[in-house]
Amino acid sequence: MSWDKFWTSGNVKHYPGKMEVEKYVYTPGIHGLEMAKALKDGRILGMRCGGTIYVPPRTFCPDGEKGELVDVTDEEWIVATYTVVTRDMYGNPVKPQVVALVRPIDAEGGLFHYVNADPDEVWIGMRVRPVFKPEKERKGLITDIEYFEPA
Amino acid sequence: MVRVAIVGIGWYGFKPSVPELSFREMMFEASSRAYMDAGVDPRSDVDAFVSCQEDYWEGIAITDEFAPEPIGGVLRPTFTVAGDGLQGIAQAYMLIKTGYFDVVAVESHAKPSDVESLQEIYELAMDPHYIRPLGVANPFFMAGLDATAYLERTGATREHLAMVAAKNRNNGLLNPRASYASRVTVDEILDAEPAVYPLTRYEIASFADAAVVVVLASEEKARELTDTPVWLEGIGWATEAGTGSPEWHLWGMMPSMRVAADMAYSMAGISDPMGQTDFAEVEDRFSYAELVALEELRIAPESAAHKLLEQGVFDYQGRYPVNPSGGSLSMGVAFEATGLARLLEAVLQLRGEAGAHQLEGVERAVVASWRGPPTRTSMVAVLSV
Repeated sequence: MSWDKFWTSGNVKHYPGKMEVEKYVYTPGIHGLEMAKALKDGRILGMRCGGTIYVPPRTFCPDGEKGELVDVTDEEWIVATYTVVTRDMYGNPVKPQVVALVRPIDAEGGLFHYVNADPDEVWIGMRVRPVFKPEKERKGLITDIEYFEPA
Repeated sequence: MVRVAIVGIGWYGFKPSVPELSFREMMFEASSRAYMDAGVDPRSDVDAFVSCQEDYWEGIAITDEFAPEPIGGVLRPTFTVAGDGLQGIAQAYMLIKTGYFDVVAVESHAKPSDVESLQEIYELAMDPHYIRPLGVANPFFMAGLDATAYLERTGATREHLAMVAAKNRNNGLLNPRASYASRVTVDEILDAEPAVYPLTRYEIASFADAAVVVVLASEEKARELTDTPVWLEGIGWATEAGTGSPEWHLWGMMPSMRVAADMAYSMAGISDPMGQTDFAEVEDRFSYAELVALEELRIAPESAAHKLLEQGVFDYQGRYPVNPSGGSLSMGVAFEATGLARLLEAVLQLRGEAGAHQLEGVERAVVASWRGPPTRTSMVAVLSV
């Protein structure tokens, strides 16, 4: 109960296809909407869950409880971990990107973002701070933060 | 309580590309082989069917409805698990434990060679609010972040990560399913430019087209069907603060694997995994993942996996071989069939049917898989003969 298989190289047919996934809107949700407004405003929000502040705010805490929105007022953040991307998944070289999970000193979680520093000068525990785009260029997105720079 | 055994297993592919068959035909081929191996007729002997797959991998919406026919599941209890094949094995285990099902088949497959925009699919798995807009050039940056944190936490170095890749890529040379095996050395790996620091391309598994089908049965039925049942002594799974909240991940760790392992070990009565089992097939789609997994599986003490690796403990000839098959680094990542690839290799070893890479005198194994970034789901099984 199995097909005999013959050498088919050069005789392979594919049906070309395209998944239509471009037209999708993502509801930001309660905390997400507040975060979007805050980013436009040059601010970053977190949420208080018991005695801990988590970034970003997601309405629900990691333990499933309700989170309470708070302003993140830390002037300095730390690099919790980082990587340097020099190739895409297909192996093509790309302009090196220093990507980090940056965390407010007094919070858990953090944000994925770029660190504007030489790859050799980034380390875990490094102090950084957010640099926002000029106000008129902000759109309520995570990219309203241009990057994090060494503090 | 009824014991559960693996009584049949079949596979097809494990190649960079399987151009001769569609994914559903690969399912058919793997299931035909598994049912032959188990000596069962799927139309009369298999009580339920589980298929493990994700729509985006197939390019088909609601792809679970494509599952029944190729595996003999039409007009029979069939369902899909949107997760790794080992999660499907857990479902089969529970069905059999109820006493209402004697024989259950679990299927998973992958045809990454059909996915011309694989990176974009990975990107679609990322949080649309806080990650996708950044436009990071490689979604495996998540693995880079984890690997950097792992090195910082444990004191391991890039050399240790390269040693994992060299071990597994060389182990695969004796495995006919290991298309990506190669005689690469630690120095060659270290000399390659990291693609996603600290990982070079040798330390990131490629993808493989593959299908695997596993037939499980209750003890009574297993004794009828085979002289070589492989007992599923324990199985567990867990998901961390996951794909939707990766910022909350504990970097350089895999707490979901610890939970899954403890669940499986407690079912199997294992308190000392390295002492009570003979080898392991574990997650290694990135070099660092094998070391993290070994610690979370309690096979290595915390922050010590790299030291045992250095001593050769995990080598093919070592005291506790890890990924004697070559792992995903040699066999490729087969999407949701990756966990079943690890299971397949462990089953063949325990049956003494692994061929050129057969280990001697192995009776008990740990099998562990993780769905890979950005997901945070792990599953662990304990097998024995």
